[in-house]
Amino acid sequence: MDVTFSVNGERVRVDVEPRHTLADVLREQCGLTGTHLGCEHGVCGACTVLVDGQPARACLMFGVQADGSSVVTVEGLAGDDELHPLQEAFVVHHGLQCGFCTPGMLISAMHLLDTDPEPTREKIREQMSGNICRCTGYIGIVDAIAAAADVMRSGDTGVSDRVSARAQETPSHIEEPKRSPPPGG
Amino acid sequence: MTATATDTAAAPHAEPIQATPSGSLGRSVRRKEDQRLVTGHGRYVSDFQLPRMQHVAFLRSPYGHARITSVNTSRAEQSGRRVFTGADFMHVVLRARSSLPSYVETDQPVLAHEKVRYQGEPVAAVVASDRYLAEDGLELVEVNYEPLPATVCAWVSPREPVHPEAADNVLLERVFETGSVDAAFGDAAVVVERDLVTNRHAGNPMECRAGVALWDPSDRKLTFWSGTQVPYIVRNMIAELLDLPEGNVRVVAPDVGGGFGVKSVLYPEDVALCLMARAMPNVPLKWVEDRAEHLAAATHARDHRYLIKAGFASDGTLLAVQADVTVNVGAYSVYPWTAGIEPLMAGGLLSGPYRLDNYRCAVRGVATNTAPAGPYRGVARPASVFAMETVLDAAARELGMTGVDVRRKNLILPEDIPYKMPSGLVDDSGHYVECLTKALDALGYDDFLAEQERRRGTDEPPIGIGFACYNELTGLGRAASAGPRMPFRTGHDACTVRVNPDGKVTVFSGVTSQGQGLETTMAQIVADGIGVDYDDVEVRIGDTDESLWGFGAFSSRQAVIGGGAAHRAAAAVKEKVLALAAGLLEVDAAALHIENGQIGVVGVPDPALSIAEVARVAYLESHRLPKGIEPGLEATKFYDPIRGVFAAGAQVAAIEVDRTTGEVRILKYVCVEDAGRAMHPQIVDGQIVGAIAQGIGGAMYEHLIYDDAGNLSTGTLLDYLMPTSAEIPEMTIEHVSHPAANPLGVRGVGEGGTLGPNAVLAGAVSDALGIQIDTLPITPSTIWKELQ
Ligand code: FES
Ligand code: FES
Repeated sequence: MDVTFSVNGERVRVDVEPRHTLADVLREQCGLTGTHLGCEHGVCGACTVLVDGQPARACLMFGVQADGSSVVTVEGLAGDDELHPLQEAFVVHHGLQCGFCTPGMLISAMHLLDTDPEPTREKIREQMSGNICRCTGYIGIVDAIAAAADVMRSGDTGVSDRVSARAQETPSHIEEPKRSPPPGG
Repeated sequence: MTATATDTAAAPHAEPIQATPSGSLGRSVRRKEDQRLVTGHGRYVSDFQLPRMQHVAFLRSPYGHARITSVNTSRAEQSGRRVFTGADFMHVVLRARSSLPSYVETDQPVLAHEKVRYQGEPVAAVVASDRYLAEDGLELVEVNYEPLPATVCAWVSPREPVHPEAADNVLLERVFETGSVDAAFGDAAVVVERDLVTNRHAGNPMECRAGVALWDPSDRKLTFWSGTQVPYIVRNMIAELLDLPEGNVRVVAPDVGGGFGVKSVLYPEDVALCLMARAMPNVPLKWVEDRAEHLAAATHARDHRYLIKAGFASDGTLLAVQADVTVNVGAYSVYPWTAGIEPLMAGGLLSGPYRLDNYRCAVRGVATNTAPAGPYRGVARPASVFAMETVLDAAARELGMTGVDVRRKNLILPEDIPYKMPSGLVDDSGHYVECLTKALDALGYDDFLAEQERRRGTDEPPIGIGFACYNELTGLGRAASAGPRMPFRTGHDACTVRVNPDGKVTVFSGVTSQGQGLETTMAQIVADGIGVDYDDVEVRIGDTDESLWGFGAFSSRQAVIGGGAAHRAAAAVKEKVLALAAGLLEVDAAALHIENGQIGVVGVPDPALSIAEVARVAYLESHRLPKGIEPGLEATKFYDPIRGVFAAGAQVAAIEVDRTTGEVRILKYVCVEDAGRAMHPQIVDGQIVGAIAQGIGGAMYEHLIYDDAGNLSTGTLLDYLMPTSAEIPEMTIEHVSHPAANPLGVRGVGEGGTLGPNAVLAGAVSDALGIQIDTLPITPSTIWKELQ
């Protein structure tokens, strides 16, 4: 099936088999291997992407369901030569070890800070509990998100504004998104 | 490299070097790996796409134990898919060897034929152009089974042996004995006895196993990209099994999404993938395991039972320990670690950091119809520490002492060092009391005691405090790694340091990284070892074609051993840089020093020469080479610490328990370790926190459960509960940093954190409720049942 959607602000048109998951379409057909698969059954959160600004588990969504939507993956976070404040904070606060959970963590954290720019540590822990990390013991991740929230509130939001804008935009030829809400978010 | 390869002598135990103020060691520099990992540009095996690539799916046994009566692949083959079965690879087996007298060697087939021994065992493999089609093909392969009685518990007698070589399923048995145990029990004022069972769980890295194998027939070369912790061990055995010269096999471990021991095993799927690639020349074959496969077929661990008895004098002195330890090793003895990996570790380290003269411990590894057990971070010690700490707490209660006092009474002290443990291992640490005391201070022990007292008799949730002290044997040299009597000794690693013609440095290290940041650590060591900027050092790891040798990531060895090799190689290169510079400057090399890539003469403020200028001469201007100096700026060195180095640790926590729900809330968790010198404090703490989180998962949530027929009933992450940020508490990590006697002064830090949580949390819950925790995990329902 012919599917058109935007990924990280770029319009893509792919021929997608109906049973292929969005994660596989992104990874295999769009070459965006930053979206990882840790369980393929909707528990670990490694595959989290934004679909029309909402977090979705790309392993639980079919590629065809993304038709007409705009998707943001981890590859869309950084600017040309600067990291997103969350990425920078993950580096500085050792919020990653093997990095396998990191793309999903970053996307979930993005959404968290979008909805609550000033979360407490408890709120971060609760909201991020849909993403499993086996390496870090989470402390570095919580530190990083709290630190990024500070940075983003203090005004240095160039990159995150751009990302939010991408998350909202819809390919121009499509008027109304025609999917039902993404599952598993 | 032959000349350097013979240079395996252990480095002299030099005084630990001190970081120069400009150096990178001791500072939490930006990790080299992070830029690509946070931007989604990591290079994991699962990301590989190669031209003509085909995808593999494995058909796995639905039975725990069954005879295979027939395999029919014709429908799958008629559909155009390539199919491999056990019959194709009957001539190849994995055989983990050990010369321990009681060890029963058994074979692990590449794909099962005759019979299947655990649910999830690979039986056939289907190749197709994508993973979806490969999985469809599995349904076209018909396998008929005749079910056999399964044995899933290691302490009931088997109804049908797993392997014909071991009728009682016992693959290994050993008794550790020292002193006069019976007499010591006769003298004991208090004898405590417990029957303790720990829960089977697993490392479960977020990236499952993955491999891509490619056979190039014109070069007769096999390349295997594998998410392994041990590429050189894999190369060695793959070459042997495929009857190829080792130089014709290249194993590459690129970015790996966590390992924790699970990926230090050579699996039948790995061998199958290489054999299939050999049969399909020029076609890259890719297999990416899914989580259900991983839970069923990657190694499990920690399924143990301890019948333990300990005798104490009236002042709390530990007089004797007698234990009978049974370890469920699963269906196969994993390559290369053998079925001895957990039982031998349990017997060797059960007494932990406590002085003990009289010890008798029988350990056995028993095969069952469950997934093979293998190394998982902390190997056996999370269970053995739980056993030891449980009897200490029990004795304290009977003697009317505190848990703290009974530990202080028995911990090995600095003046006891070197302390020969009853198993013969030599403890070189002795800083346990210091760790415990510091941990209690950080916890606010007295305040929690007061609060515990205040809550007694109120409706408020009772508070409990738990403790664990442990000695973690790390960085095992050739003498210390002799225990399992495998046909090799894992004491050494190599490192090549090359200064390029532009003066920048490339390091080819034999270490591997699954998140521990080894690129960073090796760069720090070499940068400081030569005197160049951290940013000017690039590190290559994980590729057997690039670096000379390394055993890989296990037993918390790489900072000590791989780091030692990097340090030695850097020192050798520095020596050559200085000799060359001395010749060019016509001064004595002893009068030169290097800092930030600049070579200076002692007492002269301005640098005389840069490393870049020296490197240029070394490679491009041979006419300027001083007499007797060869072109090039490179050195390869090995390091072997010969013995191991112990890392001391203490963990304490305060918890509260909801009496109505049985829920446990961790109020404060503290760990104090002696990691020696912390080369990158953030990475060191990250290792400790991550290890404790896994330990908490094992203590409270994670449990792989089989039914009596050998069906795994926790086969997804919905049933197998991994802790999230909502369960893992904040932690306080502190250090007592006593440099170890090795070139960098470091102690291994990867595993120690996993050792405490079982004991700490079980002890704390017992303390809060006055109940006995004999079986793990500690779940609300087990607590609730105990309370009724
Ligand atoms: S891969 Fe685990 S939730 Fe999608
Ligand atoms: S960093 Fe490895 S799983 Fe999170």
